[in-house]
Amino acid sequence: MLGARSDLPLEQDESSRFIPYIIALMVYLATLALAGALVADSAVERWSRGLSGSLTVQITPGRDADPAERKSRIENAIALLDQTPGVTHAEALSDERIAALLEPWLGEAATSDLPLPAIIDVRVDPAVPLDIQALSHRLADAVPGATVDDHQRWLRQLIGYGHSVEFIAALILAFIALAAAIATVFGTRTALAIHRNVIEVMHLIGATDTYVARQFQAHALGIALRGGTVGFLVAVLTLIIVEYLTEAAGGGLLPSLALAPWQWAVLPILPVATAAIAMMTARTTVVRTLARMV
Amino acid sequence: MDQREPVVRFENVGMRYGMGPEVLRDITFSLPTGSFHFLTGPSGAGKSSLLKLMYLAHRPSRGLISLFGHDMAMTDRRDMPALRRRIGVVFQDFRLIDHLSALDNVALPLRVSGAKDVQIREHVAELLAWVGLAEHLDATPPTLSGGQQQRVAIARAVINRPSLLLADEPTGNVDNELGVRLLYLFEELNRLGTTVLVASHNEGLVKRFNHPQLHLENGALRRVPSVRRTVA
Repeated sequence: MLGARSDLPLEQDESSRFIPYIIALMVYLATLALAGALVADSAVERWSRGLSGSLTVQITPGRDADPAERKSRIENAIALLDQTPGVTHAEALSDERIAALLEPWLGEAATSDLPLPAIIDVRVDPAVPLDIQALSHRLADAVPGATVDDHQRWLRQLIGYGHSVEFIAALILAFIALAAAIATVFGTRTALAIHRNVIEVMHLIGATDTYVARQFQAHALGIALRGGTVGFLVAVLTLIIVEYLTEAAGGGLLPSLALAPWQWAVLPILPVATAAIAMMTARTTVVRTLARMV
Repeated sequence: MDQREPVVRFENVGMRYGMGPEVLRDITFSLPTGSFHFLTGPSGAGKSSLLKLMYLAHRPSRGLISLFGHDMAMTDRRDMPALRRRIGVVFQDFRLIDHLSALDNVALPLRVSGAKDVQIREHVAELLAWVGLAEHLDATPPTLSGGQQQRVAIARAVINRPSLLLADEPTGNVDNELGVRLLYLFEELNRLGTTVLVASHNEGLVKRFNHPQLHLENGALRRVPSVRRTVA
């Protein structure tokens, strides 16, 4: 009887059967790409925040590694730093802390046997301009073996890497959106060709192009949401597994791949956006095609 | 629309398919509001082509076509659906939508006009009952006989109380008794103001109902007045 149904048998079309699978695959890949970009962005932000406003002064151990000499150099360096305008705090890292930092790379035994450099963590006021090169020269003159690292080279590389990852992710998302649109265009055109007779009858009894297009766009929205939801859920499962495996295997070596709650909240935009693209593409394709009819 | 303005007006209309020869040549006629005509002529004379021009499925190669006072050459494509809703068409090959029930097929013109299901349900069921299909409301066209399909097609054409009814061989697949009943339905609609043009081969029916004829032969049209009435 008169139930909710389409005038066009689009659900029975063989031509559109493959589209939910394609959409699922595309949303799966898009979700992973976006998650990757968000993780990279967070990591860069974290590292950048940690490194800016700080310097590291490293004092290489002398040949005889005399502890008293080492202590004296550290004190001299800290005294010089404390007198430098813009330096808010200078503190030497304990040997235990240095060993802990190196342990994941060198192992426990190696760190206990090796002569370790002294490291001074320096906090600077970002508002006060600091001539790093002059400070470096003054430190090197006053304290043999002292070098200053303002992390800028590392930070530049890191930010460059982060931007590259974000650019690639954006490119992947753009390709996926394009692929979703192309798949929808072909699926819709095929359906238009299959149902040409029915559409013609609908036209002849007074259906507007938008009336016909509404049926196609509702169908496209339905299948894209179905496919997109499946792809998204599988991607979420993949992310959870990857996060678990990274935590389990990486320890402090691998950067965290965990997404923040707001980042998890961003991801569902993808299946919704893909469905919207499919819907709008179907509508545009139908309206443009029908505009060529009498 | 001005009541004196004919519902349909053709002036020197020619039509060809693609680059082929003209199937209609210099067709000039008009259908006054509320008139009833038969369109007669041998097979291949161009009756269906003439109807296609009238129900806006095809554009003429030349000449002027005016429907409801609108010059079709000057009418925007976006205004066509509103004009088509005023035209009821019974196609020769029915052109029913196979996956829809008889009820939904007949309801389609109302649906595309934006009518609500509750408004159309009762009306559609009543009309299908009138054409003898009360027991087949939920049947899809492929499960119906040719005659039953034709009645569904007729019901779909008249459900909207069209201003112009065009019927291409509407009695071709029904027995004589039902054919007469259907023509009475068309006459009833005509009395209510619908302009009717029926293309038919059935000489018996044409004579029995004795309306003026437009006779097509070799792509050219001539008028055959009825015995009692004349074409305006």
